[in-house]
Amino acid sequence: MASLAQGWRIQTRVIGALMIRELTTRFGRENIGFLWMMVEPLLFAVLVGILWTFMNGPTKHGVSVMAFCVSGYIPLVLFRGSVSRSVGLFQANMSLMYHRQIKIMDFVLVRFLIEWIGHMMAYFFIMILLIALGVFPVPYRLGFLLLGWLYYSFFTLSVCFILAPASEMSEILEKFMPVTTYLMIPFSGTFYMASWLTAEARHVVLYFPPVHAMEMMRYGIFGHHMTPHFDYFYPLAVSAVMLAFGLLLCRRVRRHLVVE
Amino acid sequence: MIHCHDLHKSYPMGRGRKHVLNGLNFHISPGERVGFLGRNGAGKTTLIKLIGGVEMPTSGKVRRDMTVSWPLGFGGGFQGSLTGYDNARFIARIYGSEYAELREFVEDFTELGRQLKMPVKTYSSGMKARLAFALSLAIEFDCYLIDEVIMVGDHNFREKCHYELFEKRSDRALILASHSASLVREYCGRAMVLEGGQGTMFSDVNQALDVYNTL
Repeated sequence: MASLAQGWRIQTRVIGALMIRELTTRFGRENIGFLWMMVEPLLFAVLVGILWTFMNGPTKHGVSVMAFCVSGYIPLVLFRGSVSRSVGLFQANMSLMYHRQIKIMDFVLVRFLIEWIGHMMAYFFIMILLIALGVFPVPYRLGFLLLGWLYYSFFTLSVCFILAPASEMSEILEKFMPVTTYLMIPFSGTFYMASWLTAEARHVVLYFPPVHAMEMMRYGIFGHHMTPHFDYFYPLAVSAVMLAFGLLLCRRVRRHLVVE
Repeated sequence: MIHCHDLHKSYPMGRGRKHVLNGLNFHISPGERVGFLGRNGAGKTTLIKLIGGVEMPTSGKVRRDMTVSWPLGFGGGFQGSLTGYDNARFIARIYGSEYAELREFVEDFTELGRQLKMPVKTYSSGMKARLAFALSLAIEFDCYLIDEVIMVGDHNFREKCHYELFEKRSDRALILASHSASLVREYCGRAMVLEGGQGTMFSDVNQALDVYNTL
């Protein structure tokens, strides 16, 4: 047990150090520094939200278009950002492999955590702002919003854990990433609620864990204004299996990694 | 102790594999100083990377019962885009040591002055070697892995290394990969000659050097 506790201490120390390092290399120390990490999702969600409000009017299917757009886009950009950052991750951090206590899993986790914290801050910030402006409902049940966010994040993390080692094994993967993340959009639940779809379509999209998570989050926001469709167990199980597979891949890749 | 048991390492090359190390067995006791001799491409650096845990053996096992430094060379261990100070801070964090002390040691040992505020990629190889040495000497290890790098420094740097490594820390183990006969003769108690994926350990350094010179 002592060595397990010690291992935990070392890993938390390493993850902390890697996060600080990543933040300084990516955002620098000038002006607002690491707060930049929430600017991108913030602009994305707000500007697209304004665009949609002009195109569709302020409400659609009985919910605020702005709120619908923000609640869809922030998780989507979290997914896209994390996924694109996990490709080629090991090559970029190669020189750090000289330190034995740094595991390649730490790289994946650290990049994801930075995206995650940034997007969560952006979400929180926008929500407060839009609630104050009266275009976002006060969340009906904050617990469901948080739970959905955690489900969505867990799924995203498990995808990152597969992509990081897979991109190391095959360089072709990188070429297909942009189009794949684009094609994934219909299966992320961003642009619809499951109840708007036909029964057949709903059946298909609910095979994808992020749709469940998105439904949870939107139920947490809109409550009675929608009929949510989600399962607690299925998305968790899929993500857990993917994560386990990803960890296996990481292990395999580490064995064959050639460090300069 | 460091135990290396039946170490094999091969890399993919074209359709086949290039076998760099073919079944190495040896151990290194605390306080022992061992030189690795071999021609370019004989696998000295590869072996040091395996001992340091930077790369994993294709088969076989490395067991470390004492703390082992990361391999000191020109490349790995630090981030080129970060400054010398940032690298020092990072090392202090991941090894859990006091940054103020480490910083003082690094400033004193490297004599790089304001250059420490510049990104490491702007350093000359001599300056990089100074920083690499300073960082790893600032963390106390039972065994230091040194890959050639000691050779690039100027006279003053070698003096400092000599003092820090061979006088102040004369009780530590050391593995030195080198082409320099004089370095190995001066500092090592044993030496291993690497050739064709095999390693032969000699308890007499001069004998090892004779074999090495005939390669």
